[in-house]
Amino acid sequence: MEYIASIVLISVGAALINNFVLHYFVGICPFVGVSRRVEMAFGMGCAVTFVISIAAFLSWTFTYFVTRPGAPVTTWIWGMVNPGSEAVVDLSILNYIIYIFVIASSVQFVEMYLRKFFPALFKAFGIFLPLITTNCAILFGCLEIMKHITGVSSPAEMWGLDKALVFAVSGGIGFAIAITMMAGIREELDLCDVPKPLEGAGITLLVAGIMAMAFMGFTGVDRGLEALLLK
Amino acid sequence: MDLMTTVTIAVAAGTMLVLAVAMSLVLGWANRAFHVEVDPRIDAINDALPAANCGGCGYVGCGEYAEAIVHEGADIDLCPVGGPATAADVAEIMGVDVGDAAPKRPVVHCSAEYPQRLGRHEYAGEMTCTSANLIAGVQGCIYGCLGFGDCVMACEYDAIHIVNGLAKVDYDKCIGCSACARACPRNIITMIPFKTERVMTVACSNKDFGKDVKNVCETGCIGCKSCEKVTKGLFHLENNLPILDYDHLADDYDFGDALKKCPMESLVWVGKPSAEDIAETADEVLPDVVEADFKTTVDKTEWRG
Repeated sequence: MEYIASIVLISVGAALINNFVLHYFVGICPFVGVSRRVEMAFGMGCAVTFVISIAAFLSWTFTYFVTRPGAPVTTWIWGMVNPGSEAVVDLSILNYIIYIFVIASSVQFVEMYLRKFFPALFKAFGIFLPLITTNCAILFGCLEIMKHITGVSSPAEMWGLDKALVFAVSGGIGFAIAITMMAGIREELDLCDVPKPLEGAGITLLVAGIMAMAFMGFTGVDRGLEALLLK
Repeated sequence: MDLMTTVTIAVAAGTMLVLAVAMSLVLGWANRAFHVEVDPRIDAINDALPAANCGGCGYVGCGEYAEAIVHEGADIDLCPVGGPATAADVAEIMGVDVGDAAPKRPVVHCSAEYPQRLGRHEYAGEMTCTSANLIAGVQGCIYGCLGFGDCVMACEYDAIHIVNGLAKVDYDKCIGCSACARACPRNIITMIPFKTERVMTVACSNKDFGKDVKNVCETGCIGCKSCEKVTKGLFHLENNLPILDYDHLADDYDFGDALKKCPMESLVWVGKPSAEDIAETADEVLPDVVEADFKTTVDKTEWRG
């Protein structure tokens, strides 16, 4: 029961309470750039969710097995070279470059896949598809996972692959929810009489700010959920 | 270097190597598995086009135009930037004949500068032709150039300027993207094929009868038909305006009689100046233009902050 509770809390936390876009303000460029039409925004949300899942899987694997201090692979190699040593090999410096590497590769993969099977979506994305590479939401997801592997006080609190994937997928879903809602509002805004100085980017950023404030209403939901699930 | 550092560096390098090899294998497989057949002609045309993405051909960009040529059979000589050279390249790729396409350049069909325009009034609205065109009374002529420079703003090549209230095209800089023609709210800029470096144009857009034109302009065409008579129908009048038939115009046609007969000086040569024009202004001394370089732009005084 405690396990289910932690999974539910991680997913609700990443998707709603600490929404990547509306709480941490990462991934703003596609949030504003591709939120003109609902179907495009939904497609972007799906693409980001897909990329963030692959990136989270790969980055968790590499962080856990290779780059964290005392990771199995490095410990084993160190043991072969210098048996009996207590020292720990730390490859944490590689974290960022590995994350960027896996994100760029998975974006390239998604791009090829979309080009083959969804040419219309591919055309609609245009430049924003390669820009997922530099989408901070995805790097943010990887870094958050890293924080829960290397930055924990005891090994028991360390995130396994299951929790990392749940975090990444629900973070991506949170992004998709935010951008699709934004696109819905902006489609309605096209029909509204927006004051001249606020047209375009101005009203979009205002709406984003109001949405972020609305999402603050989810604060505390996790405590209620925890009490409910662990009753 | 101690053993620890050596091992760390070696393992780090090994990790990146393994990662790189694994990713390139996956992406290499995906590249083959998800391969999309693209007509090789589209890529070839894309390379032949100038990649200015100006939209002068009427398509969004060069890529869309290349696709339209192959899939929709669009004309091959639409690219205003590349001109005949590009059209020939594209024709070769598509295996068709290129006609004698001449590059199209914009021509402003108005010759009245501020002093020649009558009935001008003070205008305090937004300083664009689009706004000024909405209201009456900015100037007498409701067809001619307003001189607020919407075309200047539209031009990305600094090739059109307002001189004394009238838009003038700089044909040395113009690439013929037709952005100015689209920007003009009065549609007095049209794209005309430049078969020769100098082209005869009708520099008036006023469709009214002679008396009304004379009330609003000192140089506007009054529709007297003398050019039509002298050139035996090369000009023909529509809506009190002579239209020059560029399709049947010989490159070396002599417009001397027509120019002499035109009472309003509405027939104007545009493009490169002729040898006589250059000789006429040869004795004028032009002011020196100071080029911006290190000596003229950097202040040599010592800074004593």
